[in-house]
Amino acid sequence: MVKSLLSKRSPLRILEDSTHGGPGRGAIAVLASPKGVGKTACLVHIATEKLFQGKPVIHVSYASRVDYIITWYEDIFKEIAKIRRLRKAVDVHDEIIKKRVIMNFKQEGMKTDQVLRSVEAMITFGKFSAETIIVDGYDFVLAGSADLRKFKEFARRMNIEIWFSASLRDPDGPLYDADGMPCVLIPHRSELDIVITLHAKGDFVELRVIKDHDHPAAGILPLKLDPKTLLIAQER
Amino acid sequence: MTTTIERMRNIGISAHIDSGKTTLTERILFYCKKIHKIHEVKGKDGVGATMDHMDLERERGITITSAATHVEWAGHAINIIDTPGHVDFTIEVERSLRVLDGAVLVLCSVGGVQSQTITVDRQLRRYNVPRIAFINKCDRVGANPFKVRDQLEEKLKHNAVLMQIPIGLEDRHRGIVDLVEMKAVYFDGRDGEVVRTEEIPAELRDESRRRRDELLDAASMFSDALTEAILEDRVAADLIHEAVRRGTIARKLTPVFLGSAYKNKGVQALLDGVVRYLPHPADVDNTAIEIDRDGRPFKLVSDPEAPAVLLAFKLEDGPYGQLTYIRVYQGHIGKGDEIVNTRSRQKIKVGRLIRMHADHMEDVAGAGAGDIAALFGIDCASGDTFAAPGLNLAMTSIYVPDPVISLAIKPADKNALDRMAKALNRFTKEDPTFRTHVDPESHETIIQGMGELHLDVYVERMKREYNAEVETGRPQVAYRESITSRVEFDYLHKKQTGGAGQFGRVIGYLEPLAEGTYEFVNEVKGGRIPREFILSCDKGFQSSLKKGELIGFPVIGVRVVLTDGAYHDVDSSDHAFQAAAVGAFRQVYRKAKPQILEPIMKVSVEGPSEFAGNIFASINQRRGIIVSSVEDGAFSRVDAEVPLSEMFGYSMQIRSLTQGKAEFTMEFLKYGRVPAPVAEELMARHADRKAQGAK
Repeated sequence: MVKSLLSKRSPLRILEDSTHGGPGRGAIAVLASPKGVGKTACLVHIATEKLFQGKPVIHVSYASRVDYIITWYEDIFKEIAKIRRLRKAVDVHDEIIKKRVIMNFKQEGMKTDQVLRSVEAMITFGKFSAETIIVDGYDFVLAGSADLRKFKEFARRMNIEIWFSASLRDPDGPLYDADGMPCVLIPHRSELDIVITLHAKGDFVELRVIKDHDHPAAGILPLKLDPKTLLIAQER
Repeated sequence: MTTTIERMRNIGISAHIDSGKTTLTERILFYCKKIHKIHEVKGKDGVGATMDHMDLERERGITITSAATHVEWAGHAINIIDTPGHVDFTIEVERSLRVLDGAVLVLCSVGGVQSQTITVDRQLRRYNVPRIAFINKCDRVGANPFKVRDQLEEKLKHNAVLMQIPIGLEDRHRGIVDLVEMKAVYFDGRDGEVVRTEEIPAELRDESRRRRDELLDAASMFSDALTEAILEDRVAADLIHEAVRRGTIARKLTPVFLGSAYKNKGVQALLDGVVRYLPHPADVDNTAIEIDRDGRPFKLVSDPEAPAVLLAFKLEDGPYGQLTYIRVYQGHIGKGDEIVNTRSRQKIKVGRLIRMHADHMEDVAGAGAGDIAALFGIDCASGDTFAAPGLNLAMTSIYVPDPVISLAIKPADKNALDRMAKALNRFTKEDPTFRTHVDPESHETIIQGMGELHLDVYVERMKREYNAEVETGRPQVAYRESITSRVEFDYLHKKQTGGAGQFGRVIGYLEPLAEGTYEFVNEVKGGRIPREFILSCDKGFQSSLKKGELIGFPVIGVRVVLTDGAYHDVDSSDHAFQAAAVGAFRQVYRKAKPQILEPIMKVSVEGPSEFAGNIFASINQRRGIIVSSVEDGAFSRVDAEVPLSEMFGYSMQIRSLTQGKAEFTMEFLKYGRVPAPVAEELMARHADRKAQGAK
């Protein structure tokens, strides 16, 4: 149907093609950049593309209020609908939001076990068969290596893929190592299947694949973020 | 007592159901020396709190109707408008909010900010009502007013500042420290009526100083004089009061009081807070709309000399006949004055004017701007505006949502019939969201409202107040039908068998209308249909919308565009064109791919996080969509969209699933498409009913 045709042309497809099919079930991907470059928009765009494919998404947020996140989705959806000249946008919209749940964990230092327990309850008791989980606002600096392992173990057990955003803070030292790997992610390297960094380049944002499963990473992708819409766009 | 407007306060006490609102109100009345004995809610003496004058409310321990009660405190006249706490009665809540100038937001020191608190606070915000907070139940196990203050900030985004700190909590709760005067305050005597001031206990001195600094910090934002005084270290209590008052009225500061109404602690200090910080009627801008000038806003002045404008905000059937509660916004009314109901244009003469106290009424000679009083023997509906002759104003109309649920009722015996009719007549006047009609096919009396509980309460009230026992049918959801695609029609209505002939032809199309119920567009050119018959077509289409073909519910979201037609000089008539429109609609309705819509409710469930899984499951079972879940420590809130038809009995289920620890609120959100299997079932049932009716 229309929706799947749409998805074939999507930048997400290019992203997946450049990373051996994306994270895939049981794997973890991270989008990393300093604040304000466009990680959340990027994650929401990825989630929206999944929704277009009819795949349910759980959006876990540690920071933003639910209404802010919903606004992100609304804005990204509107942009996509405009760019692709979506007909019956309202119907498509109503259809896809049924496949999205936002889970907001407010308290600072909320235990990973408790978060995963709730997400699992949503999947099993709420009969919400998510394939993709988006985790926004997770603090990799505070995270112990055990926490990431728990996420990884959860992804495998539940057979889902998890997309994280990682905010890179103002440096006391360098943000990245010599290979371009964000320093905060180095301790968690073994749990992460895909690492993509975002770099502001004046009038656009560049995406670089730093880690791609066990393959050599593809480096700079033919994708960039449009600074106006913050959508991932194909480079012409 | 005649009171200057500066010494008047019209306040509401808004709260989550179990936060002790009724007990607090009761204590306020007591300390204001208006009643002589304290009754507990559901107390042993069976009398119940004074404000709860309806049996049903007593039994359930909740206050459903709003009444205005007049009390006096520290030389000020306070009208307490009792606002109902349940979301099902939103219209009543909102109507009372319209007449408030300020509110006390009551919170439980254990439960804190809960989903209903959020609803109530949102309503207060919508009507720009300044508020002060009272953290009640500081004597309860687990009391933590500091946490509740934090929640006011985090969950409700209030700039909440403690005016007091507790002296002891739970069973050691003995009094409060007043952070303005820096004194300890205790409440002695059998009923806490003796206020004793002492030095602050040594162990609380540091904390008091720290909290006072916070208070000064927050208050100084609203007063340069206070800022200066702080720098020069000569802060006087009056300066603080003035600054807090400014911040409160600007709705940028929420002073927080605390205590335990049940244990008679802190209520007098709260009353001082009401008169000190909440606005008087002239502090508040009120506007009406000019009926003759397209609803242009009209600023009202709280000048007693100006022509009178008042709002009837509540009707009540008392033992002495009908009482109409009014708020005067401008001018003054007295016995014998003539005023006009601007809706019905009816002129009335002000007769007996009274002021309601908790347990008696007092005759008053008049009521001026800002005042709340009640009129006897006036026929009007709630929400009507009265004005001095020559002023055609309406107080801003209050949004009235359409009912979403209906119930067939039948009097249990012949005697009950009259009483039922009387009760229904009263209820529909009191509450615009409660409606009633007789179904033309089944001849049953149908009542309609905003939710299951809403209708339950009225059925109970019929029994108790009117002695009208009724049997009820199954609650019925207010479905709608609508079309999904554009269709063209060309219909000729022609009859020439005996008598006058009938002739009318209509050509045009129907198309879905995204927003609204119905729109009629006339694009007929060159008099192909004479103008007088265009209106007939419009009428004909409108009558077709009353009952859709799928399941017999009203059709919404239709635009009819009439493009062409034909008429006959002799045989065309109003009737013929109406019939042509009806025929055209019937001809093409099915082709327009009609669908069934159902009311979708916005449901918010809140409870301990350990039950989150049960809550998710309960919503999933009911065809609900979980929009979000928010976990805040041990508490979770789940927001979902659930069809109303699936919400019956939910309160029972949610209680049993969570050991009574979760609660939910629900309000109408939108109409949504019914899934195919449900639609088929509804259509089959409709067909059955029709077949039975035909027999």
